[in-house]
Amino acid sequence: MVYARTLGGRTYTFQVSGRLWRNSLIMVDRETGTSWSQVTGRAIDGQHRGAQLEKLEAIETSWEEWSKAHPETTLLKKGKEVLGSHYQSYFDDPEKMGLFRAQWLAEKMPGKTLVYGASIGPHAVAVTEGALDDEVVVATLGDTPVVLARSRDGGVRAFVARVEGEQLGLDRNPKTGEVRDGGGSAWDLGSGRCISGPHSGLRLESVAVTPVYWFAWSGFYPNTQVIDGSSR
Amino acid sequence: MRSIIVALGVAVLALIGISHAGSPAPEVVATIGGEDVYQLLPVGAIPAIDDPEFVSGADAELQMRAEEPVLGVVIGGEARAYSLWQLDAHEIVNDEIAGSAIAATW
Repeated sequence: MVYARTLGGRTYTFQVSGRLWRNSLIMVDRETGTSWSQVTGRAIDGQHRGAQLEKLEAIETSWEEWSKAHPETTLLKKGKEVLGSHYQSYFDDPEKMGLFRAQWLAEKMPGKTLVYGASIGPHAVAVTEGALDDEVVVATLGDTPVVLARSRDGGVRAFVARVEGEQLGLDRNPKTGEVRDGGGSAWDLGSGRCISGPHSGLRLESVAVTPVYWFAWSGFYPNTQVIDGSSR
Repeated sequence: MRSIIVALGVAVLALIGISHAGSPAPEVVATIGGEDVYQLLPVGAIPAIDDPEFVSGADAELQMRAEEPVLGVVIGGEARAYSLWQLDAHEIVNDEIAGSAIAATW
């Protein structure tokens, strides 16, 4: 997750608090000591309680795919060679959730299922990897249609699927991978831009996507919709 | 690369892994919204990165494996990647891209 760390014109720096809430990290800012949820970006305790950091569009993918799609990219320099994750055994073990009170919606799917979460206000959706294989997925969050799709750099992004108040009916051509709406406009769901057709030049509003284990997402959004590839 | 399994939860592991290594149940230090807050490590025990440095091009390639998972972000046309293997040990990078102050978290 990536957040803007500016709030009301002031810039904050964040530390790892060493505390967990709802099975996930609490960040704490050095300036005021306010506690912020890493999953939602909301201040849960302290001076800024109730404030919301802006969540920015960011993806998780492989270096190979990222650097191919963004050859000019900069990379956070490594201090020393890091050849793997300390946590590989955690990633690989379906039982390891490190959970306290892991009761949330555990029955819907295994807690270690990787989902792509998106939310608008209290409305949330969790989309499984399988649902995104060759398709675009449209969820309705409150009254806002949101399209999620995997883009060329391997990441999953989401956009508000609406132009001038009209919902876009988006479909991906299984052969070409091209995404078009019902009016014949073609959309690049990496950038949100319309690349040809009547809506040329328009750009859809981005919605941040959170790749997250189900056990963590469902703890924050117990009423989340679930779109699961295996049930399609 | 769909097989990449990267997801939030590393922080949980860092903390839980340590807490399971022989120490008693973690301390509940607060309750927020009816749910307990556990203190597992001192503040800053996992050090965030406050003065990030960057490489690009061939230098970046030298540091990375093809399959290495990254967190990627584009702001103002500038693309930046963070190795998740590296972020395991830091969890937060206080950074700036194209003039925007951001926190990359993992």
